[in-house]
Amino acid sequence: MSRRVRRKVARKGKVLPSYPEVEDEVLVLERKENVDWTNLPDDTVIQLFSCLNYRDRASLSSTCRTWRVLGMSSCLWNSLDLRAHKCDVSMAASLASRCGNLQKLRFRGAESADAVIHLQARNLCEISGDYCRKITDATLSVIVARHEALESLQLGPDFCERISSDAIKAIAFCCSKLKRLRLSGIRDVHGDAINALAKHCPNLTDIGFIDCLNVDEMALGNVVSVRFLSVSGTSNMKWGVVSDFWHKLPKLTGLDVSRTDIGPAAVSRLLSSSDSLKVFCALNCPVLEKYTSFHVNKNKGKLLLALFTDIFKEIASLLVDTTNKAKNVFLDWRNVKNKDKNLDEIMNWVEWILSHTLLRIAESTQQGLDDFWLKQGAALLLSLMESSQEEVQERAATGLATFVVVDDEHANIDWGRADAVMRDGGIRLLLDLAKSWREGLQAEAAKAIANLSVNNNVAKAVAEEGGINILAGLARSMNRLVAEEAAGGLWNLSVGEEHKGAIAKAGGVKALVDLIFKWANGGDGVLERAAGALANLAADDKCSTEVAVAGGVHALVMLARNCKFEGVQEQAARALANLAAHGDSNSNNAAVGQEAGALEALVQLTRSPHEGVRQEAAGALWNLSFDDRNREAIAAAGGVEALVALAQSCSNASPGLQERAAGALWGLSVSEANSVAIGREGGVAPLIALARSEAEDVHETAAGALWNLAFNPGNALHIVEEGGVPALVDLCKTSVSKMARFMAALALAYMFDGRMDEFALIGTSSESVSKSVSLDGARRMALKHIEAFVLTFSDPQAFAAAAASSAPASLSHVTEGARIQEAGHLRCSGAEIGRFVAMLRNPSSILKACAAFALLQFTIPGGRHAVHHASLMQNAGAARVLRAAAAAATAPLEAKIFARIVLRNLERHHMEPSL
Amino acid sequence: MSSSKSNKIVKLESSDNKTFEVEEAVAVQSETLKNMVDDGCANDTIPLPNVNGKILEMVLGWCKKHVDETVTGDELNKYEADFLDLDQADLYGLLMAANFLNVKGLLDRVLQRVADMIKGKKPEEIRRIFNIKNDFTPEEEEEIRLENAWAFD
Repeated sequence: MSRRVRRKVARKGKVLPSYPEVEDEVLVLERKENVDWTNLPDDTVIQLFSCLNYRDRASLSSTCRTWRVLGMSSCLWNSLDLRAHKCDVSMAASLASRCGNLQKLRFRGAESADAVIHLQARNLCEISGDYCRKITDATLSVIVARHEALESLQLGPDFCERISSDAIKAIAFCCSKLKRLRLSGIRDVHGDAINALAKHCPNLTDIGFIDCLNVDEMALGNVVSVRFLSVSGTSNMKWGVVSDFWHKLPKLTGLDVSRTDIGPAAVSRLLSSSDSLKVFCALNCPVLEKYTSFHVNKNKGKLLLALFTDIFKEIASLLVDTTNKAKNVFLDWRNVKNKDKNLDEIMNWVEWILSHTLLRIAESTQQGLDDFWLKQGAALLLSLMESSQEEVQERAATGLATFVVVDDEHANIDWGRADAVMRDGGIRLLLDLAKSWREGLQAEAAKAIANLSVNNNVAKAVAEEGGINILAGLARSMNRLVAEEAAGGLWNLSVGEEHKGAIAKAGGVKALVDLIFKWANGGDGVLERAAGALANLAADDKCSTEVAVAGGVHALVMLARNCKFEGVQEQAARALANLAAHGDSNSNNAAVGQEAGALEALVQLTRSPHEGVRQEAAGALWNLSFDDRNREAIAAAGGVEALVALAQSCSNASPGLQERAAGALWGLSVSEANSVAIGREGGVAPLIALARSEAEDVHETAAGALWNLAFNPGNALHIVEEGGVPALVDLCKTSVSKMARFMAALALAYMFDGRMDEFALIGTSSESVSKSVSLDGARRMALKHIEAFVLTFSDPQAFAAAAASSAPASLSHVTEGARIQEAGHLRCSGAEIGRFVAMLRNPSSILKACAAFALLQFTIPGGRHAVHHASLMQNAGAARVLRAAAAAATAPLEAKIFARIVLRNLERHHMEPSL
Repeated sequence: MSSSKSNKIVKLESSDNKTFEVEEAVAVQSETLKNMVDDGCANDTIPLPNVNGKILEMVLGWCKKHVDETVTGDELNKYEADFLDLDQADLYGLLMAANFLNVKGLLDRVLQRVADMIKGKKPEEIRRIFNIKNDFTPEEEEEIRLENAWAFD
């Protein structure tokens, strides 16, 4: 469902110690003196069992004889929810010995339905099933035949497509004690089936034929026992017949016709002519709503629940004490001391139909309901979350998860609706639900929290209310649905920088990594969410170390290698990219490269048909190429060919992909061998094309790659031939990014410092004349723009001051004006530094100035690699050359001043070698 | 102090002969003590031979906090969380005492705390945590495995 992702390629950050391992509280406890827990009173142990889910109950029962016996206590086996468990015939048979007193059963799907009879729960009163599409008449008939004590049968909300009136007749014949029957999505409910119910089930008070196609209205008029009737979502209703017959139902108290085409005439007639009717629910009935003038006549205290009535107020009128605020009506009712059975029945039914209809409305994403949701829908869902009926709670939470999402595609949520949820204390309620031991509630609550947390303010509230701990706990669940939704919540929360540390502290990192191993072979949903959350966490320096410690590198590489789902591949690659994004500050970069098959897998993913996967894989390779060994290993794994192919194919791709494709080539081209290989594979032309991109981020990486490539004279010539000079000149002149302009200038400087000319001369002699002519033109153009570029960093006044005095302050002033912050992240090899030093002696005064300018950037104290560069320069004997440049009579002023600054930088590095 | 109207004092004596004097409003947080008070048995010191002084002090501290109307909801949450940060012997003692004295809220919280220690653990781990001896025969082990397979699937 909804999620939001964010990528970060941080290359900065300090090394901080990782968190101490969260100490297992249990171990602390263990060291204490021994007490004999098996001496606890029986009722206390049973109470303890009842705080646990079935898995944990089973584990506790498996520890010793005493607790095994207590675990079989019939009060723990009153009700059973098999929805999260695979239940086939043999499983059901193994449960049979404990199901003698089973009253309530919930199950999921047709296979479980077939197994139900093997529980041999003859005393079963309530059966409720979902995912019922494939349940057949035969299965249902057998179930009802074996459970004669049945009082409540519910199948839905999925449509029971294969159930017909025959099965309903079987229900009528077998279950004479039936009180409640709610079925969803039946094609035809024939008159004879309904009449059979009327005849054989004298206690049938609650009927729901929901989302059916045809229901015999007239026959329903014969079920004189019925008190609550819902035909919500059922089509083809003959409302004339309904109003002729149903008002005669002597006990009819609640009627629900939501989501139907009922009109005002039928509503008015039913309201006025039925003596018993108390609650009339007609939510989302378009025909009725069209009559804006429709108002409820004062019908002797009958309530109308509709989108246009005040539902809270209507319901509040049911309660004797109406002095309290209407919005608290559900709470007030639940807290009433003297229970009124009649009222309780009505309220329970109202809760049930409201939760059902609200969820259906939320799912339908109709337009025009904003007002309803903000004014009362959200508050209703929140009230229903506190219901004592588990199903109602679940559906309300699902409703919350659903109604805030306004754009499934882009996972956008409606801020107004999210705010309404927050305002009424919804976060607290959801977190309380998530703390329940019931997995259905956990999953739905976690899903709602996840969806709502797309919004920053909600995420903040969730964190403040302790939600991170709760979600991290749920992520450890053995129930895949619960773990999946919890991982989704952590994914959305991990977007916020401020939550990352808290997630790690709550053990979330370990939980997410474990999820990947636990469901390595199944469930793209859970894997995508876990990898997505880890990707966000890995963007944080500290957390990235935790991810690695928890085995995350292995887990993520495994996904990148083996998982076939694109969503998972994308997040795994993004996570690896972020893990490798911390440069020297931790060892994850190297660790990823050393994981068997990691680089090969990422290279392979750059060929994915899915653009997102290609983008993240290229991003990962880019970051990984910062490590020397990885860089060469990527090349050995076919990375050059793959990335050149990617660059060639991404002219119409997103800027994100373009940036990373060029970035990865930039990273690889740091070594000259790779540079040559990139040129040979045809990488020059696509990089030039990318340099012409509109996007600033693409400028930087394309310029960086071309700069590295231009170091090699063969490539340099290639760049000229492919029309790269105008492209680089353009970048140098107009890019918004200073870095792109800088690197474009340096690329041009490499191309025209003379080495390429030597190379070109050795080339074919017949063309040499024309070539040198075109080279001259290109050279003039390049130099002109290099000069202009350097001059933009040369404030004449500051220069004049620096020329006049040798005071450090005046030089610092020049440095400040010339400094390009991000250039401090660039790391040059000895050969590159040597080349700039040589350039200081170039006959072209423009190149002299450019070389001095570049060396200045690379040696500014405090720059990431400044010390490294200073020592390389020392090795190259740069000081002498710099002094000569600084003193040369013929050199331009910029060159002299920049050279002086570089000299001073070098001195400072020598004075503080430890820096 | 508490604004409770009744400021009658109830005297309690722990198993290790420590005596405690608390307001009746505090004492009746315990259903067991409430019954005694209602039955008029609270005029003398009530002996509590099942609860030692350390644990009794904790229980009474809990009760005091929960009748104190000046304590806000947030403070109470914080208090409850810190309160349960205990070693295993105290947790056990507290569970026994909360059960015997029938202090509903406390019993629920301690049980929840113990449940949290169990969640997600394998049987062997639970045995290790609670120092429980595995007293099953191999045949029984197999029975139990079959009995519980459904839940682990």
